Amino acid sequence: MSNVVIDIDNVSFNYGPVPVLENISLKINEDEFIGIIGPNASGKSTLLKLILGLIKPDNGTIEKYNQTCQHQRNHIGYVPQHINFSRDFPVTVEEVVLMGHVTSTSLFFKFSKNEITSAKQAMQALEIDNIAKRQIGSLSGGQLQRVLIARALVCQPNILILDEPTSNIDMRVEEDIFALLKNYSEHMTIIVVSHDIAFISGYVDRVACLNRTLVCHDTESISGKMIEELYDAPVKMIHHHH
Amino acid sequence: MTEFFTALSEYTFLQNAIIACLLASVSCGVIGSYVVVKKISFLTGGIAHSVLAGMGMAYFYNVSPILGAIIAALVSSILIGWINLRWKEHEDVLIAAFWSAGMAIGILFLSRTPGYNVDLMSYLFGNILLITESDLLLMLVLDVVVFSIVMVCYKHFLVSVFDEEFAKLHGINTEFFYILLLCLISITIVILIQLVGLILVIALLTLPAAIANQYVTSLYKMFFLSAIVCAVISIGGVAISYEPDLPTGSVIVLLACASYFISVFIKQFINNRSSG
Repeated sequence: MSNVVIDIDNVSFNYGPVPVLENISLKINEDEFIGIIGPNASGKSTLLKLILGLIKPDNGTIEKYNQTCQHQRNHIGYVPQHINFSRDFPVTVEEVVLMGHVTSTSLFFKFSKNEITSAKQAMQALEIDNIAKRQIGSLSGGQLQRVLIARALVCQPNILILDEPTSNIDMRVEEDIFALLKNYSEHMTIIVVSHDIAFISGYVDRVACLNRTLVCHDTESISGKMIEELYDAPVKMIHHHH
Repeated sequence: MTEFFTALSEYTFLQNAIIACLLASVSCGVIGSYVVVKKISFLTGGIAHSVLAGMGMAYFYNVSPILGAIIAALVSSILIGWINLRWKEHEDVLIAAFWSAGMAIGILFLSRTPGYNVDLMSYLFGNILLITESDLLLMLVLDVVVFSIVMVCYKHFLVSVFDEEFAKLHGINTEFFYILLLCLISITIVILIQLVGLILVIALLTLPAAIANQYVTSLYKMFFLSAIVCAVISIGGVAISYEPDLPTGSVIVLLACASYFISVFIKQFINNRSSG
């Protein structure tokens, strides 16, 4: 029996009068690699924001390690879907990765030796150590995505959450990134949101299908019929071989 | 120009003006960098103009106008920041309201103040040649305040200006640092008003930093480079305006604009050369 690291219990959330999520219950286990899929506006990003504690549920509770959200934030690494910053910001790859170490008590200018070492390790793991001194504006979409993953990994989180991590990059890089995540998932809980069910099913342990409400499946049981139900339209299944 | 250097060795008021340029450049470089990377120059303009309300009241009640300016700048930056955080979608209207209300309040109080004040014109358009030793001391104190807060909270500011959502996830109170940044901006505005006046202050808070932004890869390097650019431009403005007796503030601002456009062209040229 594995330990539950995130326990979402009967959670609902509305944006004003519009219900976005209804009665979501989901238990996520330690070291599990789970994919959350669903059509546009199905509440995927909202569910992630609830798990992160950036917004609060209208109903229900979200427990992480049996504690409430706010105090556990640093155990979670987060890779957002859209970059929230401007590409001409004067900051290098190394500095962005080091930001993963910053907390409310980090004072002054310098980072400690340990912090710099672990940032180097994260950059090596993601093969971006050769571009450490480059300004972020000069990077490709795939490189920038790796920088954001390194920033999320640098504080050694127990849980890594990625929102459409490969939506802006080409297929080959997408495969690289998922292979890397698969590696990390051996000692880390990973939650990844995607719209591409056929692709992620080759990597994840379990798929949660979200369209305001939630249905959970093992990857083996994903069928064309189920996807049709979810997306409300015929969908062509494509088989991947890895 | 030679006349300027001869005069510089003779007259204290010119020496004071040069010291004022150097002191202002410290805050201008650091805070201007934040204004540029956070893209809040319009908001900064709003705070600068609402300072007139404080100066108007200070004249009316016959207290130090610079004290009025500091209080008005702090109050309006806290108010704008606080309302803006809760009413984000109307940001530009909000700034326009503060911008014009501040000036209107200032003019109302001034119209009820007996007599005509020459000083007022120097606060609107700056008169660096009238700077006294006590002004310099005040600038030094404000510089130290701004610089030490930025250095102590460097990482907090960097993360919350760069990526607010990420900063929140790391337990950083981004709303507090947003309002603190606006307060530092308002202190810098008060320092720069001595140089170019509140109408023209926006040029010195954006253009030197925008020039620096084209050549640096890190925020702290941007601080240094834009401080140097600001010092060169403001001292250059004093030197150029001295002999033909032109308004110094205006010359500084035009020099800053010209430098910015030249820098954009140079950067474009370098990019074309390296890519072609």
